Amino acid sequence: MGTGKAMPISNVSIFSMLRTKMQWHQERQRLLAENVANADTPKFRPRDLSPLKPDPARQATASVTLARTTPAHLAQSAAIAGAQFQLDRRGDFEVRPTGNAVSLEDEMLKVASNAMDFQAATALYTRGLGLIKTALGKR
Amino acid sequence: MDFLKSIAIAASGLRAQAGRMRVISENIANADSTAPAAGGNPYQRKIPTFRSEIDRALDAQVVALGRVRTDTSDFRIKFEPSHPSADANGNVKYPNVNALIEMTDMREAQRSYEANINVIGATRRMIQRTIDILKA
Repeated sequence: MGTGKAMPISNVSIFSMLRTKMQWHQERQRLLAENVANADTPKFRPRDLSPLKPDPARQATASVTLARTTPAHLAQSAAIAGAQFQLDRRGDFEVRPTGNAVSLEDEMLKVASNAMDFQAATALYTRGLGLIKTALGKR
Repeated sequence: MDFLKSIAIAASGLRAQAGRMRVISENIANADSTAPAAGGNPYQRKIPTFRSEIDRALDAQVVALGRVRTDTSDFRIKFEPSHPSADANGNVKYPNVNALIEMTDMREAQRSYEANINVIGATRRMIQRTIDILKA
């Protein structure tokens, strides 16, 4: 922070972590919405994301960063470019005669827990911002 | 924004279930519609079908109501010689609609509709939480 260069807030590690987590929840919410919408479609198999794992190696290799030709350019954070989450191909525990394997109860539980975890992430983000504000000095 | 995609996908589910309700109500309303001419076939029960399709703009699998098919099972036959739709033997064909089946189908449609509403509600809360970061 003390180098005199402009630094986006997402370069602070806690924010970039929370940002990745929020993107993961956003992506998961899309998949869950798909599962629920197709709860009566024949031959539809539900999909989910595999849990978010701390994996610095994947982040470092998967991210494509913009070239910085002068030091005045903003550095791109790894979390923006490397946001590729893995699909979880788990076994379906209940397949109906139509070939549909969506269990609405299961999906509802996942939607609720997804929303709660997302809320936890945004609350932590807010607290992090509060810390920075404290450091800057309240007016 | 990705959350709006989630809402659009859930909305496609709402649309499909509402279409299914339309077909079910058609079946229940016509549960006793006999043929207009003597000896003809009465109302035939309709079956809604679902298919999932890739929405290119959303980059997601949305659900859509497929072709509405007709139920090919046998009609109910009652002996009513005085009925205007009766054939030469006095038999009247009634639609192959079973109220119990329609009721269970209706409950299922209702349940799926509520599940989609639930997803929209959860997504809305998540958007609200994101906006709340600004207010901090």
